Amino acid sequence: MRLDINYRETWLHRINPSLKLIVMTILFIGVLFIHNPNVLMNLTLGFLLLLFAFAGYPLKYLLLFLLPFLFIFVSTAVSMILFGNGQTTWFQWGLIHITEESFFRGLHLGFRAFIFALLGLIFSLTTRPVYLFYSLMQQLKLKPKYAYSFLAGIRLIPIMLEEFQTVQNALKVRGAAEKSNVFQKIKRYAIPLLSQSIRRAQRIAIAMEAKRFSQTVSRTFYYEIGFSKYDVVFAIYIVVISLLSYYLSTIYPYIPITDVR
Amino acid sequence: MQTNKGLKLADILTTVVISIVFGIVYKLWGPFYYSVKPFGLHIDQLVYGMWFIAATVAYLIIRKPGVALLAEIAASSGEFIMGSEWGLEVLIYGLIQGLFAELVFAAFRYKRFDVFVVSLAAASSTIGSLIMDLYKGYIEELAVWNLTLFIGARFIGAIIISGIFAHSLVKALEKTGVTQMVRPASKEDYDALNR
Repeated sequence: MRLDINYRETWLHRINPSLKLIVMTILFIGVLFIHNPNVLMNLTLGFLLLLFAFAGYPLKYLLLFLLPFLFIFVSTAVSMILFGNGQTTWFQWGLIHITEESFFRGLHLGFRAFIFALLGLIFSLTTRPVYLFYSLMQQLKLKPKYAYSFLAGIRLIPIMLEEFQTVQNALKVRGAAEKSNVFQKIKRYAIPLLSQSIRRAQRIAIAMEAKRFSQTVSRTFYYEIGFSKYDVVFAIYIVVISLLSYYLSTIYPYIPITDVR
Repeated sequence: MQTNKGLKLADILTTVVISIVFGIVYKLWGPFYYSVKPFGLHIDQLVYGMWFIAATVAYLIIRKPGVALLAEIAASSGEFIMGSEWGLEVLIYGLIQGLFAELVFAAFRYKRFDVFVVSLAAASSTIGSLIMDLYKGYIEELAVWNLTLFIGARFIGAIIISGIFAHSLVKALEKTGVTQMVRPASKEDYDALNR
């Protein structure tokens, strides 16, 4: 995410982006197979520590970024809490049926969504897209034509947002905003945005092909991205956090449920 | 020189750029989705289908193998880079949904571009997202009436938004003439030359 916020560059910023992406993906899949809410709560604390201590952003911005995550937490948890299956009834009113099992399952889902959001936030705050795609080309052998297309695409985001504004203003001036349903509204924005984008993409692609951006053999890179000691630190931190979360959940459980299924 | 195998840079770039437009839509769709979610009765699932639209629209515009998968990945990474509330989750969901849409287009050997095929692809993406939800959200633990409502709403929403609406969007886009720049020459084009 490119933001005009001053941040310190910490060791988290210097990790190899491909490695970071792979570790995050493994964590994502790993968390899907954790059914003990105690472990998830410990993991949440571990990743919150990583974010607040090592992401290098001012506290108030971090809190601001975390705000929408609370919505996610609540909205993910609430439908399971209200409508989930379970034996020990706590409360029943019409269709709403809150049980002990569904309550903790809902809570578990909330924490899970929160962890996914945290991991994503840590990744996008500490990784520059340019380095990510250069690293994907060098370490994971992503074809340059894909990587450079993505990079070109990312550069177009501000232009698209500007165009979106222009269309919005144009529609406002013409009084076109009233009396239209959602689909008509989306179409009104999507057609000019898409057609302009396609035209622009064609022009850029011709220029890029002429400059051999799609060439794969004997390629050199402006940014050479490798590995460093920070990658080891990161890997150790993740392993320690994971093992500690599991260990602590067995000796100091917060809630007496070990499997929410 | 470029070989004929695979997508050309122009195809990839066009797909990525189209997808980023939808990435912006996906990002804006997030707050909309969770603002209707707390009502609980799965009204939110009716709008879920918007997150499959990049695959079907890009496929209808460019009409080449691999485009649907690439589009959905690109749209989800665009959403991710802009700071999605769901974080890393969107990348994995994007991959699965794109793959499932791609499978449908492959099953028709990339020869059909009508409402039926895109609706089928949208439904297929829905199945992909449901598989992910099964692992992530324990949706099988919802009460039966609630689960039925959940799945039904998502299928209906997906077919309306990413099937029927996507098709009409591309039909409208064809009138601007831009689609002729990106599509491979069809048989009619060659016939026109031979006339």
